Amino acid sequence: MSTNIVQIENLVKRYGSLVALDHLNLNISEGEVFGLLGPNGSGKTTAINCMLSLLKYDKGVIRIFGEEMRPDNYQVKQQIGIVLQNVAVFDELTVYENIDYFCGLYVSDKRKRKELVEEAITFTDLNDYRKMRPKKLSGGLLRRLNIACGIAHKPRLIIMDEPTVAVDPQSRNKILEGIQKLNEQGSTIIYTSHYMEEVEQICTRIAIMDHGHVITSGTKEELKKMIKTGETITIEAVPLSPENLADIRTLPHVFDLHYEEQVLTVRCTGARHNLIRLLNYLQSQDIPFGQVSSELPTLNDVFLEITGKQLRD
Amino acid sequence: MLHLIKYNLLVKVKNFATTFWPLIFPLLLGTMFYFAFGNIDDADFETVQVGIVKEEEPDTLFLMFLDQMENNGNHLIAAQELSGTAALAKLENEEISGIYYVGKAPSLTVAANGIPQSILQSVLTSYETGKSTIRQIVRTHPSGLWKGIQKMLNQQEPIIQVSLGGHTINGTVQFFYALIAMTCLYGCFIGFGSAITLQANITALAARRCVTPTHKLKLILSEQIASFLLGYFDVIVLLVYLRYILKLDFQGKIGPMLLISFFGSLIGVSIGIFVGSLGKMKEGVKIGIILGISMICSFLSGLMNNTMKDIVEKNAPFINRINPAALISDAFYCINVYDDLGRYYRNLITLAVMSVVLVAASFLLIRRESYDSI
Repeated sequence: MSTNIVQIENLVKRYGSLVALDHLNLNISEGEVFGLLGPNGSGKTTAINCMLSLLKYDKGVIRIFGEEMRPDNYQVKQQIGIVLQNVAVFDELTVYENIDYFCGLYVSDKRKRKELVEEAITFTDLNDYRKMRPKKLSGGLLRRLNIACGIAHKPRLIIMDEPTVAVDPQSRNKILEGIQKLNEQGSTIIYTSHYMEEVEQICTRIAIMDHGHVITSGTKEELKKMIKTGETITIEAVPLSPENLADIRTLPHVFDLHYEEQVLTVRCTGARHNLIRLLNYLQSQDIPFGQVSSELPTLNDVFLEITGKQLRD
Repeated sequence: MLHLIKYNLLVKVKNFATTFWPLIFPLLLGTMFYFAFGNIDDADFETVQVGIVKEEEPDTLFLMFLDQMENNGNHLIAAQELSGTAALAKLENEEISGIYYVGKAPSLTVAANGIPQSILQSVLTSYETGKSTIRQIVRTHPSGLWKGIQKMLNQQEPIIQVSLGGHTINGTVQFFYALIAMTCLYGCFIGFGSAITLQANITALAARRCVTPTHKLKLILSEQIASFLLGYFDVIVLLVYLRYILKLDFQGKIGPMLLISFFGSLIGVSIGIFVGSLGKMKEGVKIGIILGISMICSFLSGLMNNTMKDIVEKNAPFINRINPAALISDAFYCINVYDDLGRYYRNLITLAVMSVVLVAASFLLIRRESYDSI
């Protein structure tokens, strides 16, 4: 049976009249890659800062490894690694020195630290850049250094707050692969992002946040089952009359359609042959059409159906 | 702890802003002071050119006296024998400052008022006084005549300046002591930088450090020590530069001077850490505060006006007892001028106590590890 290593109960954080966290409840089990997904300003980073005792909160309880999290709970802090949204390294130190410095805040044994630093450099593939200063690194390499500084001491729990912001796709993939590898090595990961593709790719369980509280959570499959949308069909360059649109609306399993600038988007419940039925209709009416695509529901669809807005709004 | 100090020091040394200005600016200012008034006491007056016009029955004793004045090594006057017309022409052309007409009673003719003319008048007055003395001796003790003449010819400075402690009496060193005090206080910029990197609500770097299991006091102390070492190094470089390269009149022992610099650097860094730890003020405001503190303290200790410290002492002596720059420069005075060890140690103890209080206050301000907002 898995153990909850992070428990958050009724967490409330206010900035004056603004409620940043509104009775937030979270349980994260050991071994998970737990995704906190939500649009900017939904409270993800505030939740993380409260978890780390960087921020005071108005109400609620945070337990990590079964102990109440406090600023002076150094035993708990010893087992946490943090990768912040903003790159937090010393510009004056080299890649190696930065990792060594931060690892030294957790590990005092010099020999052990040296091994750990070397492992972190290898893990993040920074070996060729070990003597370079951060200012000479590209955005992707800088993010990898930021991660190396947070994970070098091999923490049991790693908290990553939007670690791939402003990173090129190649570096992003490397980072995501690295996170999965860390999880395989035994670390529990809390991963916040507003990139739903990333969360879908690596997280074993996801909580979707909006307005400071969790609106739903579960595995990605569970989340997708919660919504009506089973398939989204998009057809481009298709000239349709109002009568045609009315006909399409009556096709089996179609529950929503959108038509703008000759692009038709049809949302269907999870049944088979939706696309064939739609194409058959267009052929029967002798209507020409361009590119056709069919997509299974995404987390964005989940968010859209629950909140009525896009994740990236 | 050593790990932290090592890297904190490395970060500061590699940071241009914390390395360059606290080190280079005092050196530049010291060089400027040196050229402005470093050698003011050695400044010599030009030898006064004077013409001699012999008249009938010249006073040979006065001619001997002038000859002695010219050749005694002081180069106070340079006399040349001229005809009356030539002498007047030269006086008109300002080639000479005066003419001694040497007859039965020597007289002086000048064409202007000024220091050279005053010197020539002094020489003549001095001779006449001496001559009168000799006449007196002839009348009363003729046997001591030769001795009296010798004494008169080998005139010495009537006043010799001496230091109470037997050390320097150069008044301009006050500027350099104030400069060293200012350099010590410049450590506040290094300390300020350290305090900023310890507050999670200001930088992401500080946030990362605050979530580690390293105790906050350890983080503060390691920053304090690294900042102090760098600040102390800057002061030592300045001290060495002033004493051994500019060869200024610092005659006290180097050990006590290093000790003053030690406590001076400590107070400088402590002020920076304390101001850096203060509340929610913007970084620019805090920089303004430490700049203001360092400059006002230095000003009151005599950096811009060497009488300022005395003015403060007369009107508000308490300020001199708590102004770190005044305490530092006063400690330098104690070993280089007064030889007052009691006062020297009192200054050092005051600096040490103030440093401890400021660091403790900084810890109390920064130790709060959770913030209302980040």
